[in-house]
Amino acid sequence: MDIKEILKLEYTALHIRRSILRLIRAGEAGHVGGALSSVEIVTALYFNLLNIDPGSPKWPQRDRFVLSAGHKCLVLYAALAERGFFDKSVLDTYGALDSPIPGHPNMHKLPGIETNTGALGHGLSIAGGMALGLRMDKSQSKVYVLMGDGELAEGSNWEAASAASMHKLDNILVFVDRNQLQISGRTVDVMSYEPLDERWRSFGWSVRTIDGHDFEAIIGNAKEIPFEKGKPSIIIADTIKSKGLSFAERKVNYHYWKATPEEMEQAERDLDAIEKKLKEKTERSTGNE
Amino acid sequence: MNELKDPRKTFGEAVIEAAEKNQNVVVLSADSSSGSGLGAFPSLFPDRHFEFGIMEQGVIGFASGLATTGKIPVFAAIAPFVTARPFEMFRNDLGYMNQNVKVVGRCAGMTYDQLGSTHHSIDDVALIRTIPGVTIINPGDPVTIRKAVLAMIELKGPCYMKIGSPKMPVLYPEDIDYRLGKGIVMEEGWDVALIGTGTVLSKAVAAAKLLEESGVSVRLIDIHTIKPLDRELILSAAREIGKIVTVEEHFLAGGLGSAIAEICSQECPVKMKMIGIGDQYASNGPYEELLGKYGLQPDQIKETVIKFLST
Repeated sequence: MDIKEILKLEYTALHIRRSILRLIRAGEAGHVGGALSSVEIVTALYFNLLNIDPGSPKWPQRDRFVLSAGHKCLVLYAALAERGFFDKSVLDTYGALDSPIPGHPNMHKLPGIETNTGALGHGLSIAGGMALGLRMDKSQSKVYVLMGDGELAEGSNWEAASAASMHKLDNILVFVDRNQLQISGRTVDVMSYEPLDERWRSFGWSVRTIDGHDFEAIIGNAKEIPFEKGKPSIIIADTIKSKGLSFAERKVNYHYWKATPEEMEQAERDLDAIEKKLKEKTERSTGNE
Repeated sequence: MNELKDPRKTFGEAVIEAAEKNQNVVVLSADSSSGSGLGAFPSLFPDRHFEFGIMEQGVIGFASGLATTGKIPVFAAIAPFVTARPFEMFRNDLGYMNQNVKVVGRCAGMTYDQLGSTHHSIDDVALIRTIPGVTIINPGDPVTIRKAVLAMIELKGPCYMKIGSPKMPVLYPEDIDYRLGKGIVMEEGWDVALIGTGTVLSKAVAAAKLLEESGVSVRLIDIHTIKPLDRELILSAAREIGKIVTVEEHFLAGGLGSAIAEICSQECPVKMKMIGIGDQYASNGPYEELLGKYGLQPDQIKETVIKFLST
């Protein structure tokens, strides 16, 4: 990928992280850990991979994005706002009565939301049905799904995994945000589904494992679906929970963050530092031209 | 003697009729199509039948996703396995998402007689009634089963329909004016309103006849759509007669009687008697004997009504 393109995505990811802080400021708390760990995946989707039109959110030929791990919705709201589905001022309503951006997404309240998720283990079945319907219509549209690694303990996922494979739904790509943490601790200690790659492969999926913060890896691999003809594809994306916040990265107690003023100040400084590095990177890249 | 027809066969034929008219109708099976009267569907519409094996909660999700692409999924299986088991999927993926999916619970009520409480479905109306926006249809004869299927395919939105298993008598002429949400006054009368639904509607019909023979004037009402309930018809019976008896093959908690009581208690309080199954797991045994165990045979309904009217 072109360095300029990657830098642009990295800046977008930074804006999205800033919007996540904005949401937390408005709502005072939220599921920030898994939102921040999946920023690069969601940024890649909304600013490169998805064939969508913010001006026509129900366009029948669009690609679909199903956020199965609905509690990661802060990153979805931030990305949709960044992509122009609605004005960013909506982000300031997070936590307010009747806000269009509840603690779990609601398709009836906000343009661009495809599914009402939040209860875990629902998204993959719904995505499977979308993929089946699109294939019946001979559509070229793809269905992208983001799941959490803790979510994989819901048995309904494995019903869906079997069915997607049995029905040869090779128009699906799942990302698993493997940040290795859930509310109670490390996923391998709470209820291990490792080795994830072998498990998904045994269910008939074509599996790749990547660094989930590396845009080249995310986009390069996602553009190659189906990884194998006739099989659904899955990318196990290794990520860092709460990525970007120095005090919260890889810490289980920031799954849901009730921000203190001090932490919020530190979070701003952390994102400023990221911006500074990005500026230096940009200067280096333009200097090299 | 009325003609008897197989409800599942009738249902399956109606779905095929609907699918011939509407290309968007697709059928999903959890190893359940053949037992739902849909055995012929896969060969008639090979590209519109999807088998999933025994995974009802997943099928509900797939149905939701299919509906987002304009398909009209019909998913029929054993009633408790499409209601109690995948309740959260029904609530979130169909109700909350307001998807145009038709879920059909067959062998509902106690019609899986011998198989016991795991296979009985006498809580489905109570459960699904709590989900906003879901239409609940409980037809009481083969003619209205067919009409209900065709009407539910035309209706945009999530539906739950329940049918039984043993052959059931034809109660209506083919040209009966059937509309979802509108109850049918089968007999006019003034002493008591007897309101039946679904598999035991025919028992209420027979009971009404016995009551008439005993000199009791019965307004016999078929509430085939439990949600949305025909509020006006219920309230007019409450206002004009003041005595209501409900008959259902369902728990007293949360079923048709409860739904009617919710309206009457607030808008026109009247004396009511609910006939159904109390707070217990229903027993097992031959179907007609089970109905008798819970007071749902015509002579028992008659006695209950007479006792109710005398108090």
